Amino acid sequence: MWQFVARSLDASTIFTLAGLGELVDQRSGILNVGLEGIMLFGATLGFIATKVTGNYLIGFAVALLIGALLGLMHGFFSITLGVDQVVSGMGIWILGFGLTTYIGNPYTGPLGLERIPTVGGVSPFFYLGVVLVLLSWFILFKTSFGLQLRSVGENPSVAEVSGINVKRTRYLAVTFGGMMSGFAGAVYALYYNPVWNYNFLMGWGFISLALVFFSMWNPLILFGGSLLFGLLWQLSLNPQLFLPGLMSRYLWRTVPFVITILVLVLISTKWFRTRWGAAKPEALGVPYVK
Amino acid sequence: MTMSEVRAVEGRVEPPYMPDVPAAFRPGEVILEMRNITKRFPGVVANRRISFDLRAGEIHAILGENGAGKTTLMSILFGLLQPDEGEIYVFGKKVTFRSPLDAINMGIGMVHQHRKLVAAHTVLENIILGHPRAGRILNLKRAEEEVVALAEKYGFRIDPRARVWQLSEGEKQVVEIIKALYRGARILILDEPTSALTPQETDRLLESIEAMARSGLGVVPFITHKLPIVLAVSDRVTVLRRGEVVARLDTKDVTEQLLAEKMVGRPVLFDLKKPDVQPGEVILRVENLSTLNDKGLLALKGVSFEIREGEILGIAGVSGNGQRELAEVLAGLRKPTGGRIVFEGKDITQASVLDRWRMGIGYIPAERKDVGSIGEFSLVENVLMNFYFDPGMARNGIIDYAKALRLTKELIIEFGVSTPGPEAKAKTLSGGNLQKIILARVMARRPRLLIAALPTQGLDIGAMEFVRKKILEAKARGSAVLLISEDLDEVMSLSDRIAPIYEGEIMGIIPAEKAKKEVIGAMMAGSRGEETQQ
Repeated sequence: MWQFVARSLDASTIFTLAGLGELVDQRSGILNVGLEGIMLFGATLGFIATKVTGNYLIGFAVALLIGALLGLMHGFFSITLGVDQVVSGMGIWILGFGLTTYIGNPYTGPLGLERIPTVGGVSPFFYLGVVLVLLSWFILFKTSFGLQLRSVGENPSVAEVSGINVKRTRYLAVTFGGMMSGFAGAVYALYYNPVWNYNFLMGWGFISLALVFFSMWNPLILFGGSLLFGLLWQLSLNPQLFLPGLMSRYLWRTVPFVITILVLVLISTKWFRTRWGAAKPEALGVPYVK
Repeated sequence: MTMSEVRAVEGRVEPPYMPDVPAAFRPGEVILEMRNITKRFPGVVANRRISFDLRAGEIHAILGENGAGKTTLMSILFGLLQPDEGEIYVFGKKVTFRSPLDAINMGIGMVHQHRKLVAAHTVLENIILGHPRAGRILNLKRAEEEVVALAEKYGFRIDPRARVWQLSEGEKQVVEIIKALYRGARILILDEPTSALTPQETDRLLESIEAMARSGLGVVPFITHKLPIVLAVSDRVTVLRRGEVVARLDTKDVTEQLLAEKMVGRPVLFDLKKPDVQPGEVILRVENLSTLNDKGLLALKGVSFEIREGEILGIAGVSGNGQRELAEVLAGLRKPTGGRIVFEGKDITQASVLDRWRMGIGYIPAERKDVGSIGEFSLVENVLMNFYFDPGMARNGIIDYAKALRLTKELIIEFGVSTPGPEAKAKTLSGGNLQKIILARVMARRPRLLIAALPTQGLDIGAMEFVRKKILEAKARGSAVLLISEDLDEVMSLSDRIAPIYEGEIMGIIPAEKAKKEVIGAMMAGSRGEETQQ
């Protein structure tokens, strides 16, 4: 039983890391639907680097770097060129899917290294995730930079006349978002399931994306959501544990999306909007071109 | 000049961050000077050798019609645009503004007409956004105390914890002013400062502007329409026309008539003659009409009135009090949640938009670019938007384009629309010309009921005068007119009866000859009229 919980927490860590990057990204007004692609890149290149060098640190460094680069690429398309952010994001996903399959294929199979040691039964990344969640919450809501970042995502022209560099803030956010996705991918491939396989992620990135909407753009809720989604994911791997026969592995996997849709319905109700205002950053997905 | 030079200059002047530093200049000293500013855009010279100066403690208004170069000048002053020629001196130092931040750091503050505030954030968060003293970690408590103290100093009342989306236009403007002052502004630019305010809010604003001037600030209001405001507070007026300064006058020497003449370049009629028409039978009767706004809140709360043949009913009110919803519900664009609409004796509460057009209701939407026209369509096609269903214009669903073209040509001539031709795209037209073509196509249908929502908003004086004349012509021809306007002077000069609206309720209906501006103004702010009638 404890093992099941620990595995759930490990799964949730990946959602937390990727979702947190995407949350910061979206708070600045940039939607990156391609985080599954960035995770694939981070996982695959990190996996290969570690397998070749035998060093975990190099693997994570490579994942962070490729994540940052892909984040920057999305930034270049959506901030500098002002193209449709969904199109750019989908492009990154398709690129990630195709290219990592090609690059990773010769490395199919297990990593073959000693496992990363756990701390108190769960991965050290879980604790890192908790720290990052708290830090992101503090930065977003208690610091001047956080206020600037949120303002850029709500109304970039207001931010600009207040003396904020909109493009730089958004570039920072997309780069951070990319790094976190790359890192989350590496945590998957180097710790959670250290075996390279064709299309091994199967939607982790998309669940992380859904998680951001679920969280109503709040890191603390995002963390709670990732625990829930991690549990649901783990149930999907062990469908015999709960409601066997009724819920298959594939049905379990749809549950996070169903919950997210319910949350989206909730935040778009009259009741919610008149009471809480709009949760979604107003300028999300809108290119800022002057 | 590089950024480091600007910073160096800034060091020698006052540190403009501190809101309460003692003024380093005496009242009457020139604190801002623009010399021979020229700015060209492809095909036009937006500003031609404009010179302008501002003294400490002075209110120096800049007046001009749309297209006179005000916006360009304002953008140059605030660092949004860079001039092609000419120099700017602030506190006696030559400066180059590469961005609004450079201007802010030199003590220039800007209050935008289209409010630059983050709706989802609190007042306080908006004020401290981008403030250098906000620090890495926000000290909201200290900032709140400072903001409240600053607001009190100039007689503003504001709740720093309210969310901006909950505020009225007037309150939002106060937030913008305080934001600029908190940032240490010594020179305050106000873009159309009174355009969205009630008369009471306007009075309060004018008092605050005077308080700011008394404390040594220089204030520059940019104004298109509201000439009386200029006369009320300013010390000097600079009038722009076609990108050039045509007059600089001491306010005490001018009249409204003179300023209008300078702006337009010809004498302007201020008092339009109302045609003497006896109101006939009731065309429109609205009973207890209610509806919701886009947020799902009750925007119209049981409104009742009637309009007769040859009569203009003016709905006076500040933006966002249900006018938009009223217009839309009458045009059939919004479903009522209660009440009845009776048009020429027929209940049309549930009638479709198209049926209403066919029955003889004409609608001039407030949003002329988004709702009133399709920018990518030609003028012919835009005119057809009100005629495609007309048996005279389309038979068996096939449009008679030759006829449409003829009609458009006639309308362009009759309404004096300045355009290359009927095939020009609507988006190439200026605001005034676009409004003329929208008005023209509605008038061409000879509507029994004309719903005119903000028909002159944002137009310059010439076009405004024309639109008003046409509305009076419709009345003379026997149309019933519902005029919705945020310009109280307009409502009072055109309407036969005036219905102030406040938070979705009509506060009373007053015949124009008995209407006093103060009374209407008070009703627009929520007091119930005494001399009411249905």
